[in-house]
Amino acid sequence: MPNVDRRQFLKLVGAGGVGAGAGFMLAESARHPVEHLIPYPVPPEEYSAGIATWYNSVCGMCPAGCGITVRTREGRPKKIEGNPLHPVNEGRLCALGQAGLQVLYNPDRLTGPLQQLGERGSSGFVDATWRGGLDAAAERIDAARNAGNRVVFLSGGVRGHLAALLETFTRELGSGQFLQYEFAHPHALHAANRRLFGIDRLPYYDIANADYVLSFGADFLNNWLSPVNYSLGFGRSRQEGEHRGRFVQVEARMSLSGAAADEWIPARPGTEGVLALALAQQLVANAYAGDDADAWRAALQDYTPERSADITDVPVETIEHLASALVDAGHALAIGGGSAAAHTNGADTLLAVNALNYLLGNVGRRGGMVFNPDPAIGASDTEPASYRAMEQLAADARAGAISVLVVSNANPLFNLPAAADFAGAIAAIPTVISLSSFMDETTALADLVLPSHTYLESWGDDAPDPGVGFTVGAVSQPVVSPLFDTRATGDIVLELGRRLGLGEAMPWPSFEECVKDGWRQLHAAGGEAAGDFDTFWRDVLRSGVWGTDTRAESGVAVPDEVIADIAVPEPQFAGSESDYPFVLQPYLSTGFYDGRGANLPWMQELPDPMTSVVYGSWLEMNPETARELGLRDGDLARVTSGNGAVEVPVVVYPAIRPDVVAMPIGQGHAGLGRYAENRGANPIELLAPSVDTRSGALATGATRVSVAGTGRRAEAVKIGGESRELGRNIIQRTGTSGSAGHSARLNSIPIVVESS
Amino acid sequence: MRVSIVPTLKVLRPAAMIVLVALIGMVFGYYANAMLFPGTSPAQPINFSHRIHAGDYEIPCLYCHVQARNSTAAGVPSLSKCMGCHAEVATERPQIRELTAYWETGEPLRWVKVHDLPDFVHFTHKRHVAAGIECQTCHGPVETMDVVSREAPLEMGLCLECHRENEVVHGDDCWTCHK
Repeated sequence: MPNVDRRQFLKLVGAGGVGAGAGFMLAESARHPVEHLIPYPVPPEEYSAGIATWYNSVCGMCPAGCGITVRTREGRPKKIEGNPLHPVNEGRLCALGQAGLQVLYNPDRLTGPLQQLGERGSSGFVDATWRGGLDAAAERIDAARNAGNRVVFLSGGVRGHLAALLETFTRELGSGQFLQYEFAHPHALHAANRRLFGIDRLPYYDIANADYVLSFGADFLNNWLSPVNYSLGFGRSRQEGEHRGRFVQVEARMSLSGAAADEWIPARPGTEGVLALALAQQLVANAYAGDDADAWRAALQDYTPERSADITDVPVETIEHLASALVDAGHALAIGGGSAAAHTNGADTLLAVNALNYLLGNVGRRGGMVFNPDPAIGASDTEPASYRAMEQLAADARAGAISVLVVSNANPLFNLPAAADFAGAIAAIPTVISLSSFMDETTALADLVLPSHTYLESWGDDAPDPGVGFTVGAVSQPVVSPLFDTRATGDIVLELGRRLGLGEAMPWPSFEECVKDGWRQLHAAGGEAAGDFDTFWRDVLRSGVWGTDTRAESGVAVPDEVIADIAVPEPQFAGSESDYPFVLQPYLSTGFYDGRGANLPWMQELPDPMTSVVYGSWLEMNPETARELGLRDGDLARVTSGNGAVEVPVVVYPAIRPDVVAMPIGQGHAGLGRYAENRGANPIELLAPSVDTRSGALATGATRVSVAGTGRRAEAVKIGGESRELGRNIIQRTGTSGSAGHSARLNSIPIVVESS
Repeated sequence: MRVSIVPTLKVLRPAAMIVLVALIGMVFGYYANAMLFPGTSPAQPINFSHRIHAGDYEIPCLYCHVQARNSTAAGVPSLSKCMGCHAEVATERPQIRELTAYWETGEPLRWVKVHDLPDFVHFTHKRHVAAGIECQTCHGPVETMDVVSREAPLEMGLCLECHRENEVVHGDDCWTCHK
């Protein structure tokens, strides 16, 4: 034992003490955290800890209206899937629908009413109470009503009893106006159907039973109208029939649907309708034998293959072989929409596509287009507002005719071109009330924010549009108790109605009762056979959907004067070709739709299916164009239109016409929370205020732009690595080259290869 | 030339002693913590006695922990279940008064978890109850405890040992529990 002096001894005691303390704390830090078991005081019916409960409801992420089934554990939604019983999606669901959970749990949700105390658009929002907020809102609306000034309720697309309730509310106000603005609403398709067939409802496209689908610009496998339903139908057309169904896509930029096609035809933008009429002319000349054949022949005589080939930039041989394929097919179906309708002649283009369907004899037939019956619930007279209507709204606001604007589930500041100056219009409205769940660009300019529940927390119902060819109703039920101090849109409106003395027209104590009341009437219409209501209601809630397949074949007639009048005028583009050499084609992105999905991290991380880019925006450009401009993949380019400019990285994209550049819509938010803000650019800002002349819809593809390099680089984040094949033989080709099929070559890059 | 480390050690000896004593102190402190505060029988908001309920009155485990036979979780009885009896039984006892107070205010009871598996372990009561494993195998003789304490270590060895003894199909596979 060594000698230990006093000093050494004290040192050792100190070291031992410190060591023991450290050891004690180490054990303390490694301890399991205390967890609690918190049983319900009174458990809900059918609740079992650890066992999932599934609720059927309706997806609220896009206007398609798919049925969803939500898996909940201990009262919390964990997963959203498609409802197998719902005829629109039959158990399938798209990525955006799956990401609905991130709307519910989003950290940027508004958690309670807010009042703007500072200047509009400043950060002067302070917390308010519901009582105070509703009182203030009712007071402003009441003052406007008494002065005879207009109160505008601007909502996103709504259907079912919520639409009916909003309509009643604005009508009963006397000076109210109800507007629905949905960026991607198919105005041109409605206009074309109205004119050609006199039918306002959207058709159901029976793709499943078609064996030849010719699509003009409609990206129906990605996000056009009812993509999940169309994808199901497409799969069946490809795999379940006797023969593999063929599919041809006509569009200037290859979309996801174009990539799935057997043949991709890059017609000059805005001339898709001319191609349709050229095919119609061939049909009338060679195959059509209807009573009105002479009328059609006379109307279409100008659309010879030669002349049409000049206009559309599609070779004569292609037109002829498409026409003969249409004639030979058992059930040929033409679909038009999306980029083909985004021009000043949009409705005329779709009219031409519909004419093609008519001449093919497939309107109202199996494997063709079947018009939907009127919705069983919440039939609304309010047509969604076109761009022209929104311009009118802005003009009225600037003229001081509008006193109160209530915005619900719509974001016009993001979805309208800068040229519309909606921010300026809002500045002229004395009171702006937002019912949004998020602090989006429009809500940031509100005086009062009364945040709504998300769709997973509210009651509602829906009649999907476009449906599936027969009447379908679906009930949306809350799958979780409200997470925050928010209220359902319907309940807010009912509460305002009570304060404004409209209780007689809107007698329901809650929106849930309003929905239930509507379904009670629907049930009563079924008569004795329908059984008692409570059983019916429980069954509807359990299955999430109601309806019977009553699809029947029916014919339509086209008036002679409409036939005589048929023509596709030349599309008008904003900007001269010399100053702005390229046509800009903004397109709805897979993850963000019209921008509403940009605050969902899952959607930000979702690679674009065509370019594999995640996060950010980009400009798609043909390799030849890029070479001419001296730009490479990842160069930061400045895109300038007559109405503005944005800077985005270039993505060289072989499947686009050299005279067209394309940009996805959805990024470039200035609001909407941490995941959306300050990422990418919004191409809608660049658009000229051109409209489709027949429908008044914004012609999103009618703006010319110039593109110039900035000398900087900002490579788009891609998960796909190298986009070229580099001899790896990744793209397998079938068939023999040469005469067996059709091959389009674009700038010496083979785009579509033949199949035997 | 020979190099020796002995002189160096001589110089360093006092420092080495200090480090050694500190390390011994650390080990001592660690185990002192584990022994003095094992955390195997934490205090609960109400002194509920399993000895009275499951021991003296022989109420079956599954009467209160109903979900054990069909769910991953055994489930803790809701307040309404407690009050099903205690609205009438032993209402004057101080603990029952506390319980009644919770019931009347509607405030949920926050029991402290005694048997807790890490989140990366997938354990389901349903399968074990179906296989006829006694609750006491893992939870110990709960029917004798006034305050429930964790007796089994609930570590991987315990699971594997039992799986092997009973020749559980795939009982040795990682993904049987870690999935």
